[in-house]
This record gives sequence, structure tokens and C-alpha cells, in this order.
Amino acid sequence: MRVVVVPGVLALLDRYASIDDPVAQLRTAVGEAVSWLLEPGATVAVYCEPQHLRLAEQLVLGAGGRLHPFEEPEAVLAIANGSAKRTEKAPGHFDERAEAFDAELGKALRAGDSRALAGLDETLARDLWADVGAFRSLSSDVDLTGAEVHVDYDDAPYGVQYWVVRWQCP
Amino acid sequence: MTLKLGRHEFRDDATLMMAIVNRTPDSFYDRGATWAEDKAFDRVAQVVEEGAEIVDIGGIKAAPGDFIDEEEEKRRVVSFVARVRAAYPDLVISVDTWRAPVGRAVCEAGADLLNDAWGGADPALADVAAEFDAAIVCTHTGGVTPRTRPFRIEYDDVVAAAIADTTGYAERAVAAGVDRRSVVIDPAHDFGKNTFHSLELTRRLDEMVATGWPVLVSLSNKDFVGESLDLPVGERLTGTLAATAISALAGARIYRVHEVVETRQVVDMVNTIAGRRRPQRAIRGLA
Repeated sequence: MRVVVVPGVLALLDRYASIDDPVAQLRTAVGEAVSWLLEPGATVAVYCEPQHLRLAEQLVLGAGGRLHPFEEPEAVLAIANGSAKRTEKAPGHFDERAEAFDAELGKALRAGDSRALAGLDETLARDLWADVGAFRSLSSDVDLTGAEVHVDYDDAPYGVQYWVVRWQCP
Repeated sequence: MTLKLGRHEFRDDATLMMAIVNRTPDSFYDRGATWAEDKAFDRVAQVVEEGAEIVDIGGIKAAPGDFIDEEEEKRRVVSFVARVRAAYPDLVISVDTWRAPVGRAVCEAGADLLNDAWGGADPALADVAAEFDAAIVCTHTGGVTPRTRPFRIEYDDVVAAAIADTTGYAERAVAAGVDRRSVVIDPAHDFGKNTFHSLELTRRLDEMVATGWPVLVSLSNKDFVGESLDLPVGERLTGTLAATAISALAGARIYRVHEVVETRQVVDMVNTIAGRRRPQRAIRGLA
């Protein structure tokens, strides 16, 4: 099974497009990862907060995939991201705990560590405006053990930590 | 419909800045600042740098003054057009003239657009545009003689008169062989009009836009702005930009201007508010 993580960035939505794309690199990384996810023409299960369903639809349908919650999924798209308090200018302003939180989360993503994802500190995540609900539910449904990991994007350009990660599960 | 200005084509939602470049010793705003050819050439370089898509080169000031014959007008503009053409192949070159022989000479030198600010005073100008596949600006002057000031002119309905005259001229130009995509109409603020006429044309510009012909507005630092605010030339930029905003909201496509940067910002901002243009780079609240 293939699994992809992308951040819930509203600027990725067509309705919020600018003339100069403020998330051009991220958009490219997301596009490439979702194309890979859908390579087998897969039906996709999405793990995300309700707000991100529109983004999921745009990404999956736009790349020719299908969203079908009642079939056994052949691929999984998780929409989640790290803290939004990395800098003074970040949406949630600076919080000194944010960098360490994101570092731990990044480590878990790179390792495909389901247990670490399941055990994320919910209170701290909420404090740091981190959108990690999808990680927790994903880790309980999908076994990432032994997954081949590819990180397409790892940055916090607006004080919000984004990852684009591909897992090829055995 | 695509806008075709000589060698250049623009999308049907593009707005264009036409920068004024005077080859005159006595124009009202710059008072001869670009009379010397090298100064005029520097002005072209400046407005290109500022983002102007079009330069409008003129050899005779609009107001009354010394008589300038055809030969002198050609001396002022023809070789200059050739020089600008050679240096800026991607720039639209417009020439502000009402005379067909001058139009012919500048088209031979590389002009793309004939800006007939005097509303067809020389009917052969449209034939020249057709012959050279150039574009033409069809203005409304109420039939006044070139280089005269309005004196006690009244209209039953100035907007209706402007629409009738400019669209009539536009159809004549097309009949003469000008590409339909190369015809622009201009209500010509202040030309054959008092301030109240120019204000009404600004207020009702959407009616001109609704004709379907692309609309050019020439508002920059004009007397209708000065009289509205009781300000002299040199203090009319804010008023000009207010009129620009109203014109942009109505859907004007080309803006003949002295100040390129300020006008471009106003036009882009208005069109962004109107939902016709995306923000340049929006991330606030979306990261």
C-alpha cells in the first residue's frame, strides 16, 4: 500500500490561487507525491480534518484518482502538519516548544514510526496549533512497519511546519 | 476578443499602460522636459522599466500654440519612432497624430498604433492604419477642429454622443480594412468637453465599455481633474488616480498616463477588488 502525507495548506486550493504562487515548491512536491500515490489508478482513503476535504478532493480528483470510503483503499492520503508557532511571524506567533515538537514528529515520519505517531501529545499539539489528528487515526489503521520512506518536502516557510512524505508499505 | 496592436497581441482581460512621451517643447505637463531627442529616449527607457506596455509619442501639443506643419511634425517623431522600434522590439509604439501623411511615415518607421486624439479630423488616417495593419484609437471630440479649446459646447447626452461618434468611427475603420481586433475607442476627456462632460463620461464609462470595443482613457493630470479639485498642473495626481480607479472599475482597458507605476497599482488593485485579477501573492491566513 502507498501512503502520502501532505499539509493542509489553504493556499494550495485553486480558489485561493495568486499570480505568484507563495507555495510553489510545496505545490510541486505535493503534486509529485499525489501522482505517485495514484499511479496504480488507486481508490484513495483520506485521513484529515473536515476542513481539508476540499483540498483532498482537489488533489485526488485533479490527478485522476477516486475517493471511495466504502471500498478497501489501495492508497492513503493523510492531510496533516506540524506546529504553526515556529517564528514571531507565524500564524500562532512564536512558541519555544514548537521546534522540538516538530523535530520529534519529523523523526517519527522519517522512521515510519506508527507508535510514536499514535502517542503524540494531544495537549501540546493543540497548544502549538499542530494539525496532527490524521496522524493518530492513520497510525491505528495502517501498519507502517518496514515502510520505504521518501521525504519530498520538509520546511516551515511561514512559521508552519510542512512535510510531504511518501511511504511504500510492504 | 484579443487586442491586436500592430505586431503585438494581448489577452482580452489585459489592462495596458500607455506612457506619454512628448517630442514637444511646450506640452502642458512636462513643459518640454523630453523635447531633446535623447531626453525623450531616456523617458522611453524609464517607462519601459516601470512596466508600460505602450509608449504614445506625440510631436504636437494638444492645446493651441505655434502652427506645426506636417514636415515639422514628421521631423519630431518619425526618426524617433525608428530609434525606439530598433531598441524595443517588444514595445507597442503609438503615435499621437491626426494627420494621415504623418501616420503613414510613422507606420513605415515601425509604429503599431495611431492615436487619433482629434476624432477623425483626417478621414484618411484609418486607411493608413488599414494599409499597415496598425491599430487605431477612435476618439470623441464633438467635431471640434484640432488644437482648439472647447467653447460653450453642450450635448443632450454627452455619453450617448461619445458612444455614437466613437463606435461610428470604429465601424468606419473596420470598413476601411482595419482589423476589428485593432480598434480602440476613447471618450477623450477634456477634448470638446467641459469639466461636467468629462465627469459624466467618467461616471458612466461602463456604458462605453458595454459597446464591446476596448476603451482607452486619457485622464492624466487633465483640467477636469484640476477644476474638480481646484488644483494646478503638478498637483493633480491623486485626483487623476481617483478617476483612474472609477474607470478601472467600469472596465477600461488602456490608460494613457504620465505616471506609470502609480496608475498600474491603482488599476491592478481595482481589478483585484472586482475579482477580475488574482492577488499578486496571498498567504495571509492561508499558510
